Amino acid sequence: MTDTTMYQSSTTAGRPTTARRTGRRATGRRVEPLYYVFLVPTLLIFTAFVIVPALIGIFYSLTDYVGFGDWSFLGLRNYAALFSDPRILESYGFTLGFALVTVVVAQVIALALAVALTRRIRFATTLRTVFVIPMVVSGIVVAYVFNFLFSNSLPAIATAVGFGPLEESILGNPDLAWLSIVIVSAWQTIPGALLVYTAGLTSIPSDLYEASALDGATPWRQFRSITVPLIAGFILINTILGVKGYLGVYDVIVGLTGGGPGTATSSVAMTIFGGFTGGDYAYQMANATVFLIVTALISVAQIIATRGRAVQL
Amino acid sequence: MSPGSGRPSSLSRRSFLTGSAALVALGVAGCASASAGSGGGTTLRFYEQKQEVIAYFDELLRRFEKERPGIAVVHDSTVAIAPQFVRNEPADVGCFNDNLELARYIKRGVLGDLSDLPSAQAVRTDIGELTDQYATYPGRTSVLPYSLAAAGVIYNKKIFAEHELPVPETWTQFVDVCEELTRAGITPVYATDRDTWTLWQGLFDYSVGSLVAPGEFFRRLKELGTDVGPDSEVSFEKDFALPMERAKTISSYFNKDHAVRAYADGNLAFGKGEAAMYLQGPWALSQIALVDPDLEIGTFALPVSENPEERQARVNIDLGLWIPTASAHQEEARELVEFLMRPDIINAYNSDNLAYSTLKDAPPQQDERLAGLQDYVDRAAFYQGAGTFVPTSIPLGNYLQSAIRSGNFEGMLRQLDADWRRLAGREATV
Repeated sequence: MTDTTMYQSSTTAGRPTTARRTGRRATGRRVEPLYYVFLVPTLLIFTAFVIVPALIGIFYSLTDYVGFGDWSFLGLRNYAALFSDPRILESYGFTLGFALVTVVVAQVIALALAVALTRRIRFATTLRTVFVIPMVVSGIVVAYVFNFLFSNSLPAIATAVGFGPLEESILGNPDLAWLSIVIVSAWQTIPGALLVYTAGLTSIPSDLYEASALDGATPWRQFRSITVPLIAGFILINTILGVKGYLGVYDVIVGLTGGGPGTATSSVAMTIFGGFTGGDYAYQMANATVFLIVTALISVAQIIATRGRAVQL
Repeated sequence: MSPGSGRPSSLSRRSFLTGSAALVALGVAGCASASAGSGGGTTLRFYEQKQEVIAYFDELLRRFEKERPGIAVVHDSTVAIAPQFVRNEPADVGCFNDNLELARYIKRGVLGDLSDLPSAQAVRTDIGELTDQYATYPGRTSVLPYSLAAAGVIYNKKIFAEHELPVPETWTQFVDVCEELTRAGITPVYATDRDTWTLWQGLFDYSVGSLVAPGEFFRRLKELGTDVGPDSEVSFEKDFALPMERAKTISSYFNKDHAVRAYADGNLAFGKGEAAMYLQGPWALSQIALVDPDLEIGTFALPVSENPEERQARVNIDLGLWIPTASAHQEEARELVEFLMRPDIINAYNSDNLAYSTLKDAPPQQDERLAGLQDYVDRAAFYQGAGTFVPTSIPLGNYLQSAIRSGNFEGMLRQLDADWRRLAGREATV
C-alpha cells in the first residue's frame, strides 16, 4: 500500500498498515532500534509543526485574539456564535455534500478505468501514463484552465450547436456551479485512485478468474464476487483519503468560482482562511477546531463501517 | 487539492512565524553589522507594498539617505501587513492603504501619535477627517493621509461623441444614456462579477455614496450594534433601499456575460471599446492604456438623484503614513515622514500616480482622464465607499453577485443587517 504516499498524506494513510505491522511485530517481542531512528525525528517534527500549533489554535479559539496585541478570554462564546451563523452552517452543508458526491463519482470512474486498463488492451501502459497527468498539475492551474473552458469554450460550443441550457456558463449559475467543482476535483483526483486500484487489481491471481469462468460466471459476477471483495482494502483507503481531501477543498474553488455565485460554493476551508485576512482569527480558529473534529469523526466512522469487509486470500 | 487545507493554516502561520523570526534575527544582525561598519548610523525599515509604486518609493528613499547621512532605509514590500505586528516587530514607518484592515491597528493603539509633526498641520482637515471614519484612538492622529484616489464612472469619449450623448448629470439622464446606447447595440456598462470586489467597489459604493453618507451611516450602525434591524433608527434594509433600486437598474445595462467576466477581462474589453462605461477607479486606467494608449477616456461621478448638486465622488486614502509605537527609532522615523510629506515630494508623487495630494493648496491633478473629478476633490464633495466599511467576514461582493442575478436586493440588505448583528455580538465590526 505504498501508493498512498502519493497523496502526501500523513496519519490516516499510515494507520491500516501500521496496525497490521504491529500485529506481526508483537510475536517477535524485540523491536529493531532502527525503527526508533526513523520514528523519533518524524514524531518531533510532527509535534512541533502540527500538534503544538493546533493546540495553540484551539486555545486562541477561546479568546478574542486578532493575531496581535491584547486579548481576553471568551470561553465558548465563539463556538456559540458559530453554531448560530447560517453562513458557517451552509459552508458545512456544501462541503459535506460536495465531498460525498465527488468521492462516489471519482471512485466509480477510477475503478472502472483501472479495470479497463488492467485488461490486455492495446496501449495500456501509454494510456495509464496519460491518465496520470492530471495528478502532477497543480490544483490552482487546473482550476484556472477549467475556468476558461467553462466560461468561454463551453458556452461558445453550446451556442454554436444551439443547446440552450449551457449557453450561459455554469460558473455563473448558483444551482449548477457546484457541479463544476465536482468535475474538476474528480478529474484531478481520479489518477491517484486509479493507481491504487491498478495495484490492487494486479494483486489478484488470475487463476481465480479462470476458475470462475469455468464455473460459468459472467464478467459482472466476477467483478462483484471476486474483484470487489479482494480490493475492498484499496477501496477503503481511497475513500477515506478522498473524503479527507475533498473536505479540505480550497484551491479548485478559488480558481473556479471564488466561493460564488453568492456564497453557493463557499467551502469550510475558505471561510476559515477568510478569518485571517478579515481579522476574525479567533472565531475562525473555533471553526477550524470544529472542522478538525468533524473530519476526524468522519474518518473514524468510515473505518468502523468498512472494518472486516476486506477478504484476505 | 492539498489535504486538510483547513487546519494547517495555523500550522503554516506558526511555522512561518518561527521561520521568519529566525530570518529577521539574521537580518537584524546583518543590518547591525553593516551599519556599524559604515560609521554607527541608524537603519530604518520602511513598509510599502503597493506594487505599482515600489520603484518610485525606492528612489525617494535613496534621495532621503543622500539628504540625511547617517540614516539608511530598507524597503519592506511584504504583501501581508499582519505578520510584522504579530511578531511585534513592525516597520519603523508604514505607508499603507487606509482601510478597515489598518483600522484594526489604529483601534488597538499600536500606531503612535503624529499630531505634533509640522506636516500634520498642512494636511487638509476634510481629508484628515476621512481617516477617523474607520477607527480612532483617543487623543491620537494615528495616520497622516498621503495620497487620495478618486473614482467615478470611466467613459469612452469617442462612443459618447459618436452618439451625441451628454455626460449625465441626473439619474434620469443616466438612464436615458443607457437606453440610447442599448438601442444603438452598444453595451452601456461593462461589469466583471467574477472579481467580486469590483461589484462592491463600483456598483455598490457609487449607488450608495451620493444618497447616504457612508461615514455617518456606519458610525450610527456601530452605535446600534446588535440592535440593528428593520425597526432600528438606521439599517441597511431601510437606508440602502433606494440606492439598491438604483444598483438594480444599473445592473440591467451590464454586458450579457457579466457573471463570468473578471477584472482583467473588463480592462481588455473597455480598452477595445466594447462598452461605453466602466465603474472603476484610476487604478484601471493604466491597465486600459496597455490595451489602447490612445483611447479617449473621461470620468464623471455617477448621478443617482435628480439634483446635480448632490453628486459626489468616491475617494479612498490610497496611502497613509504611520509610525508604530513599537519602533525603536521614533526620531529618525519622524524625519522620514517629514521628508515624504514635504510639499514638493508629496505633490509630485500624487500628480505622477493619478492621485491627489492631501496638502492644503495642492496643485490639481493634470491627467485629462481624471479631469472630471477634480472639482469634487476641491470641494470635498466626496465619500469613502460604503463597501469599505463592511468587514471582510461579511462577503458583500458575493452577496451582490447573487442579488444581481436574482434581482433580490431587498433580501441582500436583510442579510447584511443580520450579519451585522452577529458581528456586533462578538464585537468584530472593526
